[in-house]
Amino acid sequence: MSELVFDAVSVRYGRHTILREVSLTVPSGATVGLVGESGSGKSTLARAAVGLSPVTGGRVLLDGADVRGLARRPVQLVFQDPYGSLNPRMSIGESIAEPMPRGTRNRREEAARLLELVGLDPQRAGVRPAQLSGGQRQRVALARALAARPEVVIADEITSALDVSVQGSMLNLIRTLQREMSLTMLFISHNLAVVRYVSDIVAVLRHGEIVESGPAERLLKDPRHPYTQDLLDALPKL
Amino acid sequence: MGGKWRVAVRTPVGACSAVLIVVVGALAVLAPIVWGAGAEATDTTAIQAGPSAAHLLGTDSLGRDILLRVLVATRLSVGLAVTATLIGLVAGVLLGIAPSVLPRRLGRLVTSAVGIAVAFPALLLALFLAVIFGVGMQGAVLAIGLAGAPSFARLTQTLAASVAGRDFVAAARVAGVGRLRLMTRHILPNIGEPLVVNATIGAGGALLAFAGLSFLGIGVQAPDYDWGRLLGDGLDRIYTNPAAALAPGVAVVVVGLAFNLFGETAAAMLGTRTRRLRPAKPAEPAEPAVRRSPARPVRDAPVLAVEDLRVAFGPVTPVRGVSFTIGAGEAVGMVGESGSGKSLTALALSGLVEQPGTVTAGRLEFLGTPLPGAPQREVRRLLGSSLAMVFQDPVASFNPTQRVGRQLAEVSEQHQGLSRRAALGRAVDRLRAVRVTEPERRARQYPHQFSGGMLQRAMIGMGLMASPRLIVADEPTTALDVRVQREVLRLLSGVRASEGAAILLISHDISVIAQTCDRVLVMYAGRIVEDMPAARLREGARHPYTRALLASVPDMDTDLDRPLTVIPGRPPEPDRMPPGCAFAPRCPRAADRCRSEDPELSRSEHRVACWHPDERSGGPA
Repeated sequence: MSELVFDAVSVRYGRHTILREVSLTVPSGATVGLVGESGSGKSTLARAAVGLSPVTGGRVLLDGADVRGLARRPVQLVFQDPYGSLNPRMSIGESIAEPMPRGTRNRREEAARLLELVGLDPQRAGVRPAQLSGGQRQRVALARALAARPEVVIADEITSALDVSVQGSMLNLIRTLQREMSLTMLFISHNLAVVRYVSDIVAVLRHGEIVESGPAERLLKDPRHPYTQDLLDALPKL
Repeated sequence: MGGKWRVAVRTPVGACSAVLIVVVGALAVLAPIVWGAGAEATDTTAIQAGPSAAHLLGTDSLGRDILLRVLVATRLSVGLAVTATLIGLVAGVLLGIAPSVLPRRLGRLVTSAVGIAVAFPALLLALFLAVIFGVGMQGAVLAIGLAGAPSFARLTQTLAASVAGRDFVAAARVAGVGRLRLMTRHILPNIGEPLVVNATIGAGGALLAFAGLSFLGIGVQAPDYDWGRLLGDGLDRIYTNPAAALAPGVAVVVVGLAFNLFGETAAAMLGTRTRRLRPAKPAEPAEPAVRRSPARPVRDAPVLAVEDLRVAFGPVTPVRGVSFTIGAGEAVGMVGESGSGKSLTALALSGLVEQPGTVTAGRLEFLGTPLPGAPQREVRRLLGSSLAMVFQDPVASFNPTQRVGRQLAEVSEQHQGLSRRAALGRAVDRLRAVRVTEPERRARQYPHQFSGGMLQRAMIGMGLMASPRLIVADEPTTALDVRVQREVLRLLSGVRASEGAAILLISHDISVIAQTCDRVLVMYAGRIVEDMPAARLREGARHPYTRALLASVPDMDTDLDRPLTVIPGRPPEPDRMPPGCAFAPRCPRAADRCRSEDPELSRSEHRVACWHPDERSGGPA
């Protein structure tokens, strides 16, 4: 039971409004795909949920409680750039162990378990990020997010820095985790085909406002907003 | 790491600094042990003597040998300088990180205090502190150390601020990592290198400052002696025995230089280490030069003919024999994973591979002119007038301090000899041609006032300042959104139709290429493994790699109940190519022959390099 609710969230930097009263619900155990172009405010929304961008209006609620008041960090974020999101001076095992809740016994074993979970060899816990490929680093970043035992995971464009061939295995991993852990997830991407593959619900963000949202299948088959239609039309087809 | 140091030591500066540091270090350790007694021994027969065989640099007022005293003073002089630097470094780092750890108000106070302290010259501050701490060695060490602290504090703040903006710090904050741990675990280790480099250079300054204080009599006190004191003593007699003053002076200069050079070497070495391994893309595209076009080629002669193109970096060959042609007005796509050599191929075509890369080719003809053999000036003129390049990052490809129109106009001004006004007119015209709205107004704007898609179009417009026969676009839409991507791809197709230019479109996204190009070249591990018509990709691809690439792209019809097709494993590293087909270790169809014999690209309309191509679509291999 962990429902993430954006309740009329606004984010302003000076006179610039990045998000305008965005309301969005990520139901427990479901994955919401958030689509939009660069500058639409997708990443700002993600960062608002974890306290990295200043919420100037509205609230972000987890099971009814404002996330800003919560002691633990129940919402975890996986960043877009796997080359920047891991501390180059820490071994991947240390990076994964860091966000584990206080009192976690046997952090080393737990890190090994998480590495295994994301499809990496637990023997490699001692290596530095520099020795890994982009796809492997992104798996480590995901394992680190899971290490905090989050109620909700936010994935911000986690495949857009990866090769198509690597993207596929990352998406498969997400699907496996959804199945095995009944993950509650906000999956952000500009690629509709990618969003379609992992999402139960899709929301379309434009200029800081949600223009359309609904069950993935319905929305992508029968978009009601012309902008969504245009996004679909713009996809290159084989 | 060790290798890097070895390379660094081989440079002239590196070698000098290494030798100096070793000598100084050895002297600091050994001199007092070996000559300590000798330096104290008084020779009453030779008081204040000039240079002689017994005393090479003469003696002081007590008849002590000056050369020995200068050598023995190395330990104290260097030791004090290093201690002072360490004090400054530690105090500076503490002050520097304090604002991020302390409560906000207190932090601001520290920041302002540091700001004010930085405004004072360090030496002045040292003199001031030396007076406060009192005359003597300890006072001087503290004074010089603390005087250096503000600049280290400021450096720490600046470096920490740049690291603090990176994602891994944000990730740690999201994970609930405390402020102190954030500092010690995530920020400090990542700013350690520049701090140490600066400290090394700072040690040279501290040495000088210390000599100054001792010279003034507020540093080291008798009976101890460092170079500053020896200098002070020697200066009284500079007209009778100049060596007595010059020797400690030279020692200060040499050791100061040693610290500085060592710092420089370390900085250069660490600088290269953080750089990406990828060959740097040039900031400017190949400029379309002279308008006067070379003899127009016959319509069906190829614009570009490449045979056995290789690009090597030392023993590593990331492009291993690529052959293809591009016909006039043809749109050819090149697809492959990162590291497949596709971007290097493009750079090699336009002569932009940088040292130490070397390009060789059996044949490399552009518009019928062989490029490797032709004179440099001719090649530049030809490429300049007839080849346009479009890079992935339009923001990095423009000079941020110049108006966009100006940057386009410069091309024609430089190479076509147009007047400033005429060139600007053409720039506006070209911006209109790439469908930049309100081109007159836009031409007067700066790059940051353009959106990414608009800037990419302006980049293409720059390529059109002359009349290119070939446009090489390297991942032109990777940084752009789908709708903008569609716009840029349409524009490229439009330019091809209106200008008759051929296009080489490089992308990792096979669907982008399928949509835009006539023909696809599939690159894998530095080779073309398949060359086929783009329209037949879906059903006609025969190389297992091409098929796997196609299958791994999710689209709006992908079956949601099945996992996506993935290509297991990773491409081989360019320095560890398997003996047979490079794709064999990841290939479901691989047999023994694939692992031992490298397949050649077949010679036919649909070329494929595979021993067991997929025969579903039929057709001769």
